[in-house]
Amino acid sequence: MLDALLAMGSVVFDPYLLLLIFLTTIVGVIIGVLPGLGATTGAALLLPFTLTMAPVHAIAVLATLYVSATFAGSITAILINTPGTAAAAATTFDGYPLAKRGEAGRALGIAVVSSTVGGVFSIIVLCICAPLLARVAYEFRPPEYFALALFGLSMLASISAGGAVRNVIGGVFGVWLATIGAEPTTGIERFMFGNYELYEGLSFVPVFIGLFAISELLVQSKHLNRAIVAVRLKAVMLPSREDYRRIWKTVLRSCGIGTFIGVLPAEGATVASMIGYAEARRWSKNKEEFGNGSVEGIAGAEAANNAATGGAMVPTMVLGIPGSGTTAVILVGLLVHGLRPGPYLFTEQVDTVYQIFGAMLIANLMFLAMGLYAAKLFARISLVPSKILWPMVFALSVIGAYALHSSLLDVWVALVFGVIGFLARRHGFAVAPIAVGLILGEMVETNLQNSLKMFDGDWWLIFTQPLAAMFLFFAFLGLFGSAIFAWLRARLWSSD
Amino acid sequence: MRPGGRAVRPAMRTLVLPALIIGFSVVVIWASLQLDLSPPMIVGESMQPRVFPIVLMIINMGLAVALALQYRIAPPKQIRLEGRSTWGTIALFGVFFVLTVYVDMIIAIAATVFLMCLLWGERRLPVALAVSVLTPTTVFLLFDKVLQIRFPRGLFTNWYYG
Repeated sequence: MLDALLAMGSVVFDPYLLLLIFLTTIVGVIIGVLPGLGATTGAALLLPFTLTMAPVHAIAVLATLYVSATFAGSITAILINTPGTAAAAATTFDGYPLAKRGEAGRALGIAVVSSTVGGVFSIIVLCICAPLLARVAYEFRPPEYFALALFGLSMLASISAGGAVRNVIGGVFGVWLATIGAEPTTGIERFMFGNYELYEGLSFVPVFIGLFAISELLVQSKHLNRAIVAVRLKAVMLPSREDYRRIWKTVLRSCGIGTFIGVLPAEGATVASMIGYAEARRWSKNKEEFGNGSVEGIAGAEAANNAATGGAMVPTMVLGIPGSGTTAVILVGLLVHGLRPGPYLFTEQVDTVYQIFGAMLIANLMFLAMGLYAAKLFARISLVPSKILWPMVFALSVIGAYALHSSLLDVWVALVFGVIGFLARRHGFAVAPIAVGLILGEMVETNLQNSLKMFDGDWWLIFTQPLAAMFLFFAFLGLFGSAIFAWLRARLWSSD
Repeated sequence: MRPGGRAVRPAMRTLVLPALIIGFSVVVIWASLQLDLSPPMIVGESMQPRVFPIVLMIINMGLAVALALQYRIAPPKQIRLEGRSTWGTIALFGVFFVLTVYVDMIIAIAATVFLMCLLWGERRLPVALAVSVLTPTTVFLLFDKVLQIRFPRGLFTNWYYG
């Protein structure tokens, strides 16, 4: 543990890494304040730029972008009533009304402090929980990994965007995409249609750039004439003693909620902020203030969404199961840089892992400073017109897609998945389930095959493994739990 | 076809979307059945490579039926048809493809960015021109000099690389 803490602290003595964290925090805040460009899109666009970096620097950059962009969404949520990221949607409910009353500085101060507390809390939990979970994960064999991957997929049913059925359809489609290429055990080519560039399967990076960045570009093309009314901001103010007295319980509660939601596979900051906000309202003595500028509402949403960032890194690094759309990109970053996510990461690369955690901690402190002293400047960036911003994103997307393998096929893949992602979103399907399915696809198939070999083809023996059975039970609850509870409630209600 | 003008009737979508998903699944199952079989000594007690995609598509067909039933209970919201800017942007992807294959990738990016700026409503030609020249040039130089990535040969890159 001492070694781990020393590795974490060593970040402070790496000036290059500190510079990278500083610059990425700025980039992350800019990405966060630009409506449409969220943490996931930003991470997908930034990933190709990390190719020549050392693994620890590359992942630290992506993780820093994740925490800073998640926070920065609140700046535009408060000042222009447009959440920079989906995770800041709940912040608009009270942030903008408070800003309209002339208290924008106070609203931003509460958001910045709550976000920082949430982020730091979740990193502490990450440092404690990740190694413990890794110890449990050492015992996992193919049946457990298969069941765990199914559990991860089942959680897609409850992510915020889309509906349960549509999300699972997206997840299954993603898993099918993972079958494209040569089958790992037998080498039989599947769905390649004679294109040998697909022999190792679809590359994650161009698919992600397409699904997140290019599809968002097409979505933004529908909203070109959206009028933006910005609220005047004099200066960001730290919360007063009275504000602290009112929000401290809410912040602590949201820290717990956000971290827990983040740890759940496929759940992310958006769900966390919504639940954090709803719980803040439920426990508040001033419910009537919610929706009209409640400081507890802002604190509840902001502490939860940033707490989810550290939580989401737990399943990503320990189990190789992304905790959110952005951690799916970070997971790809780990793979691209030769770091195999899983419990062995915590014994073989312990320094790297804790340096990444340290970078996230420093990023939280950096955005505290930036939020307090430069929010006014960053808010102006959000007013960059779409007609200038998104063509630039197109240029970044296609060059980024090309960069990983120097392959034009990757560029076409990005464009095709951009259109697929756009059409999916047009019909109410979220794109994150496709990305998560693509990542988990190989894990599901390979571990199912190995389990079948272990049990001589008797697939039902998977259920006799206690941990695997538990994960499969959770997967069943994830898929059908809400329907069963609704049915039970209706039955009990009608019998009364 | 102006944005916000016509809209797709929800009744149509209750069947069209699930039908499309089922159709896609059938095509994938058919394609899976065309895959080679692996010798039993390699596969052992595991499954043939064609089985997993078929199982996935059967699940998807079940989900498509569930989606159709869900739509009948709660019809989906009307979709506003996209305007010129969206379909024009998708068409620009085609322009980008042709220019990349036959001219040069960097020139294709510059041309697409320029046209996209105009399509999205930028009326100041110098601004559109500046964005379309500076963005790809900056990103190209960054990738070329810092990340040392070679771009595909074309009109501009032939001149640049010599």
